Amino acid sequence: EAALPRRYVLCEVVSEDPRCRQCIEDRAVGLAVRDAIGRVHGDYGLACCSISFTVKYLNAYTGTVLLRCRKDSYRLLCSALPFVRQLESRNQRYPCFLSTLHVGGTIRTCQKFLIQYNRRQLLTLLQNCTNKEERRCIQKSLLSCSLTEEQAQSGDEEDDDGIE
Amino acid sequence: ARRGGRMARAEPPGATFERRVLRSAAEHHYLRVRLELPDGGARPNVAQFKQLVVSALRELHGEVGAALPVDVLTYEEKTLSAILRVISSGLVKLWSALTLLGFYQNRRCAFRVLQTSPFLLALSGNSRELVLD
Repeated sequence: EAALPRRYVLCEVVSEDPRCRQCIEDRAVGLAVRDAIGRVHGDYGLACCSISFTVKYLNAYTGTVLLRCRKDSYRLLCSALPFVRQLESRNQRYPCFLSTLHVGGTIRTCQKFLIQYNRRQLLTLLQNCTNKEERRCIQKSLLSCSLTEEQAQSGDEEDDDGIE
Repeated sequence: ARRGGRMARAEPPGATFERRVLRSAAEHHYLRVRLELPDGGARPNVAQFKQLVVSALRELHGEVGAALPVDVLTYEEKTLSAILRVISSGLVKLWSALTLLGFYQNRRCAFRVLQTSPFLLALSGNSRELVLD
């Protein structure tokens, strides 16, 4: 028996409006997701999913969001994610959608997936570069990424450094 | 000669009947319900009744609940009683939504579920309302 079985849902905020990034904060995303669950699954679904529901990790630069919920109600959560249509923060709302990348049982598996995913995304970005300047920038970033074993305060994001 | 000789028993003939046990195989469940509106106001007609049932589902179970295939098979406006049909997988959602409905147009109300069965024929008799002369 796993102690308090949880599921971690990794998703990405995709928006056409670049200003949406400033709305990517844990309170705004949490409210948007809970509102969507309430609309799609009603009071019962909202109450079910709200038990130990939090936004565990956020990265506003890449739009990555890690949500946590109970194992019994992760299907309710996952089925409600496509119904998130906008993020609202500080009286500003921008349309966006959430695409689910990975569902894992622990934060570690989600982290492993995210590292691989970001690596692939960097390569894709490199291929889609339009001009030499961007290409040089990305190559410099890629080459400067490194994992040092022991550091007093190692950063959380190992790979990407705010590449737009 | 067969081994075992006279002590061997002949095999019984193959079974001529077959028993099938089906659990929860019915497609729909039927509920006989009555809406109690204690104040003597206007009674809902059948469309408003269905709207009430669907809105109860929407409150408790969201859009997914409101999309549940529920049919009002009969409705008596005088007694506010109806027979509802719901797909079997949605019985729990429907019954819980009816239980927790408290208001109709800001008037206090309550749903009473009188009978339920996977067979419509079973709703034709109700031993609770049987009057013995």
